[in-house]
Amino acid sequence: MVKRKTPMLDELEKGKWPSFVSDIKQEAESRNETDVDLQTPKEVCDDLLDLLELSFKDREGHWKHGGIAGVFGYGGGVIGRYCDRPEEFPAVKDFHTLRVNQPSSYFYRTEFLRKICELWERRGSGLTNMHGSTGDIILLGTTTPQIEEIFWELTHNLKQDLGGSGSNLRTPNCCIGKSRCEFACYDTQEACRNLTMEFQDELHRPSFGYKFKMKFDGCPNGCVASIARSDMSVIGTWKDDIRIDQEAVQAYVAGEFKPDGGGFAGRDWGPFDIVKEVIDLCPTHCMAWNGKKLGINNRECNRCMHCINTMPRALRIGKETGASILFGAKAPILEGAQLSTLTIPFMRMEEPFNEIKELVGKIWDWWSEEGRSRERLGELMQRKGFAKFLDVCGVKADPRMIKEPRSNPYIFWKEADIPGGWERDIKDFRKRHQK
Amino acid sequence: MGYDAKNPMKDRITDIGPRDYKEFLPPVIKKNFGKWLYHEILEPGVLLHVSESGEKVFTVRVGGARLMSVTHIREICDIADKHCDGYVRWTTRNNIEFMVDSEAKLKPLMEDLEKRKFAGGSLKFPRGGTGAGLTNIVHTQGWLHCHTAAIDASGVVKAVMDELYEDFGKMRLPAHVRISLACCLNMCGAVHCSDIAILGVHRKPPMVDHDNLANMCEIPLAVASCPTGAIKTTTVDGKKSVEVNNDKCMYCGNCFTMCPAMPLADAEGSGVAILVGGKLSNRITAPMFSKVVVPFLPNEPPRWPQTVEAVKKILNAYAKDAKKYERLGDWAARISWERFFEKTDLPFTEHLIDDYRFAYTTWRTSTQFKF
Amino acid sequence: MGAEEDKKLIIDTLKGKKTKTKFYLKDFNNMFPERRPREVSKLVNEMVAEGLLEYWSTGSTTMIGLKGAGIQHETEDSDQ
Repeated sequence: MVKRKTPMLDELEKGKWPSFVSDIKQEAESRNETDVDLQTPKEVCDDLLDLLELSFKDREGHWKHGGIAGVFGYGGGVIGRYCDRPEEFPAVKDFHTLRVNQPSSYFYRTEFLRKICELWERRGSGLTNMHGSTGDIILLGTTTPQIEEIFWELTHNLKQDLGGSGSNLRTPNCCIGKSRCEFACYDTQEACRNLTMEFQDELHRPSFGYKFKMKFDGCPNGCVASIARSDMSVIGTWKDDIRIDQEAVQAYVAGEFKPDGGGFAGRDWGPFDIVKEVIDLCPTHCMAWNGKKLGINNRECNRCMHCINTMPRALRIGKETGASILFGAKAPILEGAQLSTLTIPFMRMEEPFNEIKELVGKIWDWWSEEGRSRERLGELMQRKGFAKFLDVCGVKADPRMIKEPRSNPYIFWKEADIPGGWERDIKDFRKRHQK
Repeated sequence: MGYDAKNPMKDRITDIGPRDYKEFLPPVIKKNFGKWLYHEILEPGVLLHVSESGEKVFTVRVGGARLMSVTHIREICDIADKHCDGYVRWTTRNNIEFMVDSEAKLKPLMEDLEKRKFAGGSLKFPRGGTGAGLTNIVHTQGWLHCHTAAIDASGVVKAVMDELYEDFGKMRLPAHVRISLACCLNMCGAVHCSDIAILGVHRKPPMVDHDNLANMCEIPLAVASCPTGAIKTTTVDGKKSVEVNNDKCMYCGNCFTMCPAMPLADAEGSGVAILVGGKLSNRITAPMFSKVVVPFLPNEPPRWPQTVEAVKKILNAYAKDAKKYERLGDWAARISWERFFEKTDLPFTEHLIDDYRFAYTTWRTSTQFKF
Repeated sequence: MGAEEDKKLIIDTLKGKKTKTKFYLKDFNNMFPERRPREVSKLVNEMVAEGLLEYWSTGSTTMIGLKGAGIQHETEDSDQ
C-alpha cells in the first residue's frame, strides 16, 4: 500500500482541537490492518483523504449528486454520492450516506454503539457523523450494493430504522428534556419518539411536496433550535407562577450561589447584583426586589427564562406545564429565512399526544392540497395568509400570535361577513344618484 | 441468515423507528427522570445536576469533531464502559457527554479524557463548551461529502476552533456564543440564527457543458430546478441544451444537483461569507436572524486565515465591549451597526445592504444614527 | 375500487411524457383532481412497493418515475 501524500490536510493535524484528519488516518490504518471481512474497499479512507487533499488544492469539491432515495420501498434515508474522478479514487467511486434515526436526545449504551461500529466498519467507510444537522446518526460513505445489506442488518440485528430525507417527514429531534434538565416543561423525548412512531409512513415514504421538520424544545431556551429550523416547533412553557425559594434568592444575593450555575466563572464580573442583573434585565419589568424579598408579577411575565437561568436554585418553572406550538420556520432559501410563528399559545403535552397529532394531520392535508412543489409550510402560510392558516388549524385569532397589528388597511374581507353581501342593485343606486 | 438479493422482500422489516431512548438512559438518569431541581457548572465542561431525591449526576462535556471514525467511537465506548457503566450521550452541538453518579468517579474520568491525544498531537476530548463561553461549531459536510459545497466544512471548523480553543474551555465571554457553519446557502445545517455564522457562497453562475448536457440530464428537470426561473432551453450547435440568465442566478446549485452538466463551484468564485448576531433562545430578547457583515472572503485551505481572523475580530470586539448577559446581536443592536463596524474593524461595503425580497425593512428610516 | 385502472392511468400518463421521466408528487395529484392528495401519495407509494414506480431523490426533494426510466447515475458509471 502506497502511503498517500496529503501535505495540506496534514496541517490540520496540528493544533489542539480534535483533528478529523488524524481520525480518518487512524481509521485508514485500522482498515489496512484489520482481519474483518470488509465488504467495501479497504482503501476507502485513504482515497477519501486524497480526494479531499485534491479539493483543498483545487478549491473545488469533487462530488456529484446521485438519485438514490432509500432502500427498496423507502423514499428517504439514503443520499447518493459519486466521485467525479473515479479512476484515480476508485475506493470512493460511489460513496453513499445513510441516515439512521437517532434515539431521543442521543443517549446510548455502548453495546449498541459497538454493534453500529461493527456493521459500519464491515459494510461502509467506518466514518460517521455524530450527528447530522437534523439529528440522525450519519453513516458516511458506502457502495450501492451494500445499502440493502446494511438495512437488513440494521433492522434485524440492531432493531433500528433509517431516518428521513427528500420530500418526507424528516427525522424528528428533541432537546435533553426531563432526562437531565430542570427546565423541561414536558417530556420532549417521549413526544419526539411517540410522533416519530405515529408517522413512520410519512417519514419513510414521500407524502408531501417538500420536507417537513418537527422539533421538540423543552423550554423557551430552545436548545434544539426548533424555532429557527422546523416547520413545527413545539416549545415547552407554563401557565401558572414561577416557583420562588426566597432563601435561595438571598443566597444568590449574598454570593453563596453563583449566577447561571457558575457559567460566568471565567471572568471577574464583580459581585452579583440582583437588581442590575435580574430585575432590570427582565424584558417585561415584572419583577421587584426590596432587599429582602423577590416579587414577580407573573401575569405580566413572558417566560423568557432569564431569571430562572440566572438563579436556577431559587426559581423554578411553574407547575401547569405544556407547550406553545409554532409553525413555519425555515432557512433562507428561497424567499428569505423565517422563524416559526406562534399559533397555539398553550397545549398540554401528554401521552398519547392526540391533540397535536390531529393538528398535524389537518396541516398536512392543507399543505398537500394547496402547497406547490418544493414550497415549505412557512412559505405557504405567507402566500395564503395567517388567517387562512388559523382557519385550517381551527384556531381563533389572538393578539398573542402577532408582534403588532397590520399597518396597511388592505383587508380581504369575506363576502359572508359583510351585511347584505357584495351584490347590489345599480338601478336602486340610480334612484338616488344621477349619471 | 442475512439479506438475500434474490429475495429482497423475504422477512423484510420496515417502519420500526429508532431504538427506544428509555433503553439507553443511565440508571441515575432513569431514576430521577423529571425530578431534577437545579444544576451547577463546577468548572468549564463539568456539570452537576441535583435531583429532588438528593441524588446527583456529574457530567463531563468534551468537544468532538462531527466527523468521527468507528475507531474513535469505540474508544468513546471503552471510556464509557470503564467509567460510566456503559452509557454515553452526544449533544445537539456535537459534544460528547460522559456521566457518573458520584463525585469520586469524576476525577479519574477527567484525567482519563485529558491524556488522550490523536497521533498528530491534537486532543481527543477537550473539556468545555459550557456557560458563557464558546461551544462546539455545528456544521455541514463541505468538500468531504457534498456536491454543492462552496467551502470545506470540517477544515474551516478545525482552523477556527484551534484559534478559539481557549474560549471553549474558559467561560469568560459576556454570554453564550454559538458559531455555526454551512457550506452553501441551501444550509442543510441551518446557521441563520447563530451568533457567528460562517457560510459558503458561490459567486459564479453555473457553466453549461453543451456538448454533454442532453446526454447527462433531463432538460425539463434542469429548467424546473431553478428557484428563480433563470434557466431555459436552447440549442447549441444542433444539440439540445439550456442557457442561464446570469442576472437572475442566485448561485444555489439546485441545477447542478439535478444536472451534473451545470457545474457551479469555482476556485475564485466560491468562498466564505460571515453573518453575526442571530440567536435562538427567548432569553431577555426574542430569537433573531444573523446579519451579513462580511460579504466574501476567499477559500484559503488548509487554514482559512482571513476567515479565522474575521471571526476573531468579531469575537474579541464583542468580548471586550459587551455587557454581562448580552448576546452578540443584542450588543450590536445596542451600540448600533455603525459602531459595530468600527469596533470590529470590518469594512462596510454596498454588498451588505439588502437588495433581496424584504430589503426595505432593513434600511434606516429615521435620523437616529451616530456620527 | 378501480385501483388497477388508477395505476394504468398513472403508467400511461408517465409513458406519454416524452422529455421527462421524473415527476413531483403534485404531478400525480393533478392526474386525480377529485382525490385527496394523501390518497394519491398512498397509491404512488404502493406502486413503488410493487416495483412499478421508483423514487429519485435530490436529497431535499423526492421525485417519482417509472422504474428504470431516464438517466441514472448508476448506468452512467457502470459503462467504465
